[in-house]
Amino acid sequence: MGFQSQVEKAKNLLRTRLCNPNFIIKPLSDSPDSNYCKLKFTISSSITEACNNSILLVGPRGSGKIAVLELALNDLLQEYPDTISLIRLNGLLHSDENCAFKEIAKQLCLEHHLLFSKMSSFDDNSQFMIAMLRECGLAHKTIIFTLDEFDQFAQGKQRLLYSLLDAMNTVTSQAVVIGVSCRLDVDQLLEKRIRSRFSHRKLLFLPPSKEDVQRLLEHVFSLPTDSSFPHDYAAQFNGKLQNLLADDRFKEIISSYLDLNSTINHLVRFLFIVVSLWESKSGFLSLENFKSALSSIQRQPKQECIKDCSILELYILVCMKRLEVKEQNSYNFNSVMKEYRSVHDSFQTSDYYAWDVCLRSFERLIQRELICFTDNRAHGQSVEFRPVKLLVSYVELQGGLKSYRSCPIILQKLMDH
Amino acid sequence: MADTPRKPLRSPSKKPKQTSSSSISLTPQTPQAVDPPRRSSRRLSLKLDQITTPQKPISQLEKPNKDSLVEELETPHKLVKDSSRTRRNSRKNESTKNPESKTDYESANTPKSRTKVVEVEVSFSPASPDQLETKKRKRREDKDRKVITRAMASKMQRVNRRAIRRGFIIRKWCMMVVNLKWFSFEVLEAASEGSPRRGLDLRVLQARKLGMEVELPTPAKGKRRARTLREKLLSSDLWAAHIESTWKEMDGSYWFKGRWYMIPEETTAGRQPHNLRRELYRTNDFADIEMESIIRHCFVLNPKEYAKATEIDNEEEDGEDADSDEDWISSKDAESGTDEDIEYENENVKNLCARTSSAHGLAANSRKGQFFGLQKIGTKRIPEHVRCHKKTELEKAKATLLLAILPKSLPCRNKEMEEITAFIKGAICDDQCLGRCLYVHGVPGTGKTMSVLAVMRNLRYEVDAGSIQPYCFVEVNGLKLASPENIYRVIYEALSGNRVSWKKALHLLNERFSNGKKVARGDDRPCILLIDELDLLVTRNQSVLYNILDWPTKPHSKLIVIGIANTMDLPEKLLPRISSRMGIQRLCFGPYNYQQLQEIISSRLKGIDAFEKQAIEFASRKVAAISGDARRALEICRRAAEIADYCLKKSSSNLDATPAGKGLVGMSEVEAAIQEMFQAPHIQVMKNCSKLSKIFLTAMVYELYKTGMSDTTFEKLAITVSCLCTSNGEAFPGWDTLLKVGCMLGESRIILCEPGARHRLQKLQLNFPSDDVAFALKGNKDLPWLAKYL
Repeated sequence: MGFQSQVEKAKNLLRTRLCNPNFIIKPLSDSPDSNYCKLKFTISSSITEACNNSILLVGPRGSGKIAVLELALNDLLQEYPDTISLIRLNGLLHSDENCAFKEIAKQLCLEHHLLFSKMSSFDDNSQFMIAMLRECGLAHKTIIFTLDEFDQFAQGKQRLLYSLLDAMNTVTSQAVVIGVSCRLDVDQLLEKRIRSRFSHRKLLFLPPSKEDVQRLLEHVFSLPTDSSFPHDYAAQFNGKLQNLLADDRFKEIISSYLDLNSTINHLVRFLFIVVSLWESKSGFLSLENFKSALSSIQRQPKQECIKDCSILELYILVCMKRLEVKEQNSYNFNSVMKEYRSVHDSFQTSDYYAWDVCLRSFERLIQRELICFTDNRAHGQSVEFRPVKLLVSYVELQGGLKSYRSCPIILQKLMDH
Repeated sequence: MADTPRKPLRSPSKKPKQTSSSSISLTPQTPQAVDPPRRSSRRLSLKLDQITTPQKPISQLEKPNKDSLVEELETPHKLVKDSSRTRRNSRKNESTKNPESKTDYESANTPKSRTKVVEVEVSFSPASPDQLETKKRKRREDKDRKVITRAMASKMQRVNRRAIRRGFIIRKWCMMVVNLKWFSFEVLEAASEGSPRRGLDLRVLQARKLGMEVELPTPAKGKRRARTLREKLLSSDLWAAHIESTWKEMDGSYWFKGRWYMIPEETTAGRQPHNLRRELYRTNDFADIEMESIIRHCFVLNPKEYAKATEIDNEEEDGEDADSDEDWISSKDAESGTDEDIEYENENVKNLCARTSSAHGLAANSRKGQFFGLQKIGTKRIPEHVRCHKKTELEKAKATLLLAILPKSLPCRNKEMEEITAFIKGAICDDQCLGRCLYVHGVPGTGKTMSVLAVMRNLRYEVDAGSIQPYCFVEVNGLKLASPENIYRVIYEALSGNRVSWKKALHLLNERFSNGKKVARGDDRPCILLIDELDLLVTRNQSVLYNILDWPTKPHSKLIVIGIANTMDLPEKLLPRISSRMGIQRLCFGPYNYQQLQEIISSRLKGIDAFEKQAIEFASRKVAAISGDARRALEICRRAAEIADYCLKKSSSNLDATPAGKGLVGMSEVEAAIQEMFQAPHIQVMKNCSKLSKIFLTAMVYELYKTGMSDTTFEKLAITVSCLCTSNGEAFPGWDTLLKVGCMLGESRIILCEPGARHRLQKLQLNFPSDDVAFALKGNKDLPWLAKYL
């Protein structure tokens, strides 16, 4: 069973690698043009030269902004111990100014072993922050503010940003404000006074190129050839991996996956599924693993939802579709029922249910978000009078009906005209 | 320095005393004389307790003593810790010894003349100094640094400059060590001199001369002495201040910025019945004071700590009280009450009674604690990169281009500054001092606030020179207020130092400005109120602005308001009754043109050879064309320097060669900086996004051309996408995948979209001009067919 345990070990290793953003980001950040180098240089120069900077990290979600930032900060913390204090804020949590200042004061107190009072007011906290900026400036210490979801801070009066940036521009301090956001227009959100005080370093994070992806795959999957694995197993594994990476079918799978979204995080999530699908019996990663991972990740939830509907629910959906085709823009449960009855009258279907049964399945459709109310206002009104809309496209509905196991033929007919 | 000439004087004066004291050399303890450094002497003294040493040697040892003291100062942190430990130990030991020494003393001394007695005591009983020090220790742990200073004018206290200089390098915190050490000498010393109530000036001066010699572990008397200084303080012959910062002037003298403490008598309300005897108030009054006027370290504690400290105090005092002679007894009686009362440090007279719970008093972030404990932050040593780094030209340029650096000269705003000066002077120097109002407007980064502050600085020099009458200056920033109403509170606090609720503050301010009720002494001075970001004070009924702008119109207000905002038509947007009060005098700061920007940048870069001339011109022309914002121009230049520095450092680290070329910042760097700052990144993102996103965007553009409507729904778009895919041999990904793609594009705001839950009803709209999309996607190699639809 030595072989089995080796495979388990390899699996574990690959999983740890995939869960460690630093490991993923490292190989992509060694060239001087990389964001990592630029970011690290900017921060470290503001540490050594005692200046203030504000930097924006912009890029689509999952492109590794935070990972790069963390990597750079970790390096700097090792390089300049005790001269950096990190303040981490998140726009989703601290977009309220009061709360943001409190959080800053709290983290500053924690960092410097001071006593923190949660009772103190907005003024106190903001003045405390300025006093700390000054004090840290005198002591050659740098305060790094990382503002995640920066766009959330750029709403309302933006007092936090104003106080922060204004203090940085007037007090002799050393501080770096790093804003992280997925909105590309985030600097346009800043108020004019704040934009004028912001120093507008901007780093753009883009998805990796094809070559980078290839490099990343090799970096992640190849086993180390040192003593941690038996030499012949590691060599065999890496040899198979090379074959796989060179395989055109494999490339096609990866690229068809990346067609949807080519960011690093997205790719890593896929690779994790691949490792999970890798069975211990076969000692090596195979193309099959990638194929099944791809099919398991590319799903069409709406269509699958239709498959789970009952016949009556399908009737209701089809009736709604018919109403829409008739250009009846606003309809509610009662009008759907009228249509349902007329369908029943003209085609004499066997599936005719009572009014309250229909209402129940109608409500279930609403819960599954296959249909929705068009307005959110009339909460007092009962369900049957509120106007509704279909949330599935006709194409999807038709596809759903076709793949439905025992769909009455009449329904498909009704669908067509 | 001042000290040296006096030395010869001192030693003669000392001599006679020593002879007198030598007469009682029987007394067991005169240990300190033996070893020079004070701290170690303490330790040794324990061993030497029983040995009698002649006091003579002291005078010879004095010199080395000083030096070693200085030496010690170089390692301040350690020092403090060590000394505390030794003190504590010694205290225990000594307290056990106390009784003996006391009895000794009594038997030996009673017959002697008074002066002698005093002298003897000095050399003698070890207990009290020690206790004095423990007290200090304790307070030191609180990290409260206070210094008693004399009035600035007094020239007398000459602190050993050398010590200070050393201390200075190590920063404030050890400054205090210097003071502590140093002044404990004097205090002792003064004690030896005798009567507490005498004019301090000469006394202390001499005393300190002597003090250096009279070695140390001063006795009960030391304590007394401290008390006498305290009495001076409480009778406002001396003042206490909190050292905020220290620096060295050009001429080599050392200064510090002090925040004054007041005794209750000096407050506007005077001493109130609830004030305790040793109570002090902290003021908002700052002053720059020469270091030399510092007498000694004093401790201002909050009530809780003080109560604790006094307990110990009292115990020990009881013991020593027994042996004091009549002279002291009299003074003691006067003070008998003092030990019980508590020395409050309190910023607010009004809150005094209410403020019983000091639980939050020490929290760093509450003002009650006065940002308690910030001095902990100081570095233990100056980091290598600061100390040893020699700046290159580029780094110098970067440093001088920082926005936080205030340039020596402020070019290009002379006319405006003159106008402001004339306005303020006209208002102040007028006998009537009729209140006035000035509205300053201009786009951000045109030097509005800076100019006003520069004018105020200049005026302060004039006040110091005596050519203008003193005024008070209050600066408020609208964006830093929690709510517009808070401005009353801030103004009132700045004027009077008291913190009250905004309603109360409004009432008090109204009384002062509208009704002309001047309560305190300083109230008849003209007051200049600078309100930055004035537009933030506009409330729904605009009452805040109205109130503030109404005061200057009152006959005796002596209030001058300067409002700063961005929009030029702010007064017109307000109610007519406000605009008629504010809109009369206005000053416009236009955007800088490119010559001005160029001048601003090159005046900062004077003497630094880092920029090509065209590069500066290019940057300033670009900024002038866009906004005329000086901050922006400086930032572009700094960024350009940073880029140049980055390239230089990377290339030198890669090749391990000496940096090639001079590393001047040229056009290309400035161009890159401008690109980074002004160019929106969306084109690059579109170029690099995934294949489906590209198809999605193309379909949006196609849809836009087809229908002419800027927004579309997801349903229509999906149909278009499937058409595009089928006619070009791509696989249609399915609706749900497509929905995901759309939402992702919406997240980064390339398109604007409703939440994805709306599915086929979801509205979509391009966030950028369709030409940008066309530009980004046209030359695409993977999907050449996209060009057909763009």
